[in-house]
Amino acid sequence: MPYLELDVLNQPARPTLGIDLGTTYSLAALWRDGRPEILRPKGRPDGRIPSAVHFPASGAPLVGWSARERAAGEPGRALLSVKRFMGRGLADARADLASVPFPARETQHGVIQLEAGGRLWTPQELSALILREVWRTASEALGEEAPRRAVITVPAYFDEAQRAATRDAARLAELEVARIVNEPTAASLAYGLEQRREGLVAVYDFGGGTFDVSVLAIEGGVFRVLATAGDTHLGGDDLDRVLVELALAEAAPPADLAEDPAFLQGLRLAAEHCKIELSTRPEAELHVAVPERRLAWRRAVQREEFERLAAPLLERTLACCRRALHDAKLRPDQIDEVVLVGGTTRIPCVREAVAGYFGRKPHAELNPDEVVALGAAVQGHVLGGGTRELLLLDVTPLSLGLETMGGAVAKLVPRNAPIPSQATETFTTYADNQTGIDFHVVQGERELAKDCRTLGRFKLRGIPPLPAGMARVAVRFALDADGLLTVTAREQSTGTEATIEVQPMNGLTDAEVETMLKESFAHAREDFDQSRLANLRVELGTMLRAIEKSLPGARASLDKETLTELEAAVAAARAAQQADDVKRVQRVRDELERAGLPLAAVLMDSVARAALQGKKLSEV
Amino acid sequence: MNSPATAAACPSCGQALATPLLCEACGALLAPARAPTPFEAFGLEPGFVLDLAALRRRHLALSRELHPDMHARAEAETRRRAEDGTAALNAAYQVLADEDRRADWLVRALGGPGEDQERAMPQEFLLEVLEWNEKIEEARSAPTGSAERARLDALVPALESERARRRAAVGECLTPLPPAGAPALRRARQELNALRYLERALTEVGELRLAVR
Repeated sequence: MPYLELDVLNQPARPTLGIDLGTTYSLAALWRDGRPEILRPKGRPDGRIPSAVHFPASGAPLVGWSARERAAGEPGRALLSVKRFMGRGLADARADLASVPFPARETQHGVIQLEAGGRLWTPQELSALILREVWRTASEALGEEAPRRAVITVPAYFDEAQRAATRDAARLAELEVARIVNEPTAASLAYGLEQRREGLVAVYDFGGGTFDVSVLAIEGGVFRVLATAGDTHLGGDDLDRVLVELALAEAAPPADLAEDPAFLQGLRLAAEHCKIELSTRPEAELHVAVPERRLAWRRAVQREEFERLAAPLLERTLACCRRALHDAKLRPDQIDEVVLVGGTTRIPCVREAVAGYFGRKPHAELNPDEVVALGAAVQGHVLGGGTRELLLLDVTPLSLGLETMGGAVAKLVPRNAPIPSQATETFTTYADNQTGIDFHVVQGERELAKDCRTLGRFKLRGIPPLPAGMARVAVRFALDADGLLTVTAREQSTGTEATIEVQPMNGLTDAEVETMLKESFAHAREDFDQSRLANLRVELGTMLRAIEKSLPGARASLDKETLTELEAAVAAARAAQQADDVKRVQRVRDELERAGLPLAAVLMDSVARAALQGKKLSEV
Repeated sequence: MNSPATAAACPSCGQALATPLLCEACGALLAPARAPTPFEAFGLEPGFVLDLAALRRRHLALSRELHPDMHARAEAETRRRAEDGTAALNAAYQVLADEDRRADWLVRALGGPGEDQERAMPQEFLLEVLEWNEKIEEARSAPTGSAERARLDALVPALESERARRRAAVGECLTPLPPAGAPALRRARQELNALRYLERALTEVGELRLAVR
């Protein structure tokens, strides 16, 4: 038998979490008893965790439900969708940053840093906080430490920088990334569509903040992504916004109120509530009230009216569907199955639009909020060695290339190329005795490098001096199965190994990740120390009070040496009671405990005697 | 279907290899000394005519053995071979599965001109190009629903049938494979240039039909 097969057969399957790291919610699932299961802690039917971080006036940031609750009252201290900033620079994220209540800056490599709670946070670190909370919740649900290995999903539309940022966030959360999987692909795994002998599947994923659609081909248990298209700025929040705008137009609040973050946050919640209600009822109420400003406005919204307002947004999703089918060279009627993902697909008119476009009823049997995590758990089962029945063949969503002379792009890996993928292109020098070449790595479909997204720049040094056009520099792009890129280059004519300095754009260097990880350990130590200190002080106070109470009565029973030692320990403990040094407080506590042992023995004796004499314990 | 390429033996088990990327008999992942040609990767003799359905099945079958997911827990060297081997297989599949890319590869491999050396298109084709370009330009500036846009819809089948004709012509030039340096390779290149134009035109028309104004 082949040893690789034996390898798989002999090792027990290694549990691997499936994590949907979403824009608005995140959640985890795990393969258990032959099927993927959402990990819900006892008494919490909703396994989701809001992807929200709240920075209190002092202390460590809050993550998840507590952060979301606080955010409603204090929008100025919360960040609700950090995913939008992953792998982005200030310039890309300007529009999204406008709604963020924290000052933003950028590292020298174009990574956004938000100033919150007295320090700077990169989106990777904030996402790591969310991932830690997801892992903690998963552990709570399992009743033991959850696996540290995970499949993490990203929108199919995510570019290389965004995928790399996701991987770095996982590393910062001390998770081992088994695979980064596209969300729509995970969704079709959740529906077990691989059991079809063959067929074409469209996954329509309308989430809180993003939309994407993917076309997949299934054949003999193999999933192949044929095409993906999407809009990173189209989601359920936009549907809330049409209602918010309706309310702002009709309720006409004073200008200062209309710009007040707390007011707008309240209005958004009201709009969301109204939208959700309209999914099950023909009419719902939208109301805004700020009693202290004498603003009270309410009106009924008909489902038809909402649908009319939502129509242009739905049309944008259908335009993406047309684009994906165009790229896959398919017609809508050729699609065999349509899968719905994301809470927004609960809206009846969304379902109708999808059914109308593809000419068939979409799958909605599973909870659209959970399908992605469930599918990630299925893929985790595959990667953990649990099955060889299923294989996912993914593609890269965007072309990768290098800027050439004159600003054009030489595409090395075309859009929708199956991954892993490798390509090599040879470049040459344009001047005599040129010893270096600057490379500009870009991702995107536009003709000119300046219109594409910069992934990084690197300089190739140490080319031997040769006449122009004689040097042969082979640049190799290697895109792994996660869609992450490694670029290497070497000069071939002389076999000289040239040096490269890669400068990631909007990304963290390995060294930065290491430093952050160490810092987070240091912070974890600090946080731990603080709570330990608080607990020690409480303990010390209890011990001191007990000794003060019992010492006068027990004095006579203690020898002089013991008494001197105990009094010294008490004095030291009093002095250290408000100290900030955990080690010192710990030391005096331990010393007090040791010096107090003879006293405890005397008290035990007197307790025993008292018991014999029929005295009550409290009277001793 | 083409017959398998000259067989080498698996260094692990000695069985004849159908592809230099892995041994299907013992499952060993291999590290070929040089990058295989697209045809070698699939164990095929070079040729223009190809059974696409069989190629696709073969890609899936080989992926099942080679893909990094199937070796997620193997040691580093096996994982590297899985990554490199799958990348080579994917690259080969993309060349072979696309008739135009397959023809382009064969023309070059037989020492025929590249598109930078032979830029001409077939004579009779040029007149049609002028006419199509005009229609596309008119439609570009016209609003949705206009007569110019409607003419675009009629243009698609015309371009598609022309593409089918040109593909057949490429096939004729390359079946059976001409000897290296034969004049048929130049003709094939000219037909491929026409096909490139047609692909670009069809994409452009597709984009225009997708765009709403």
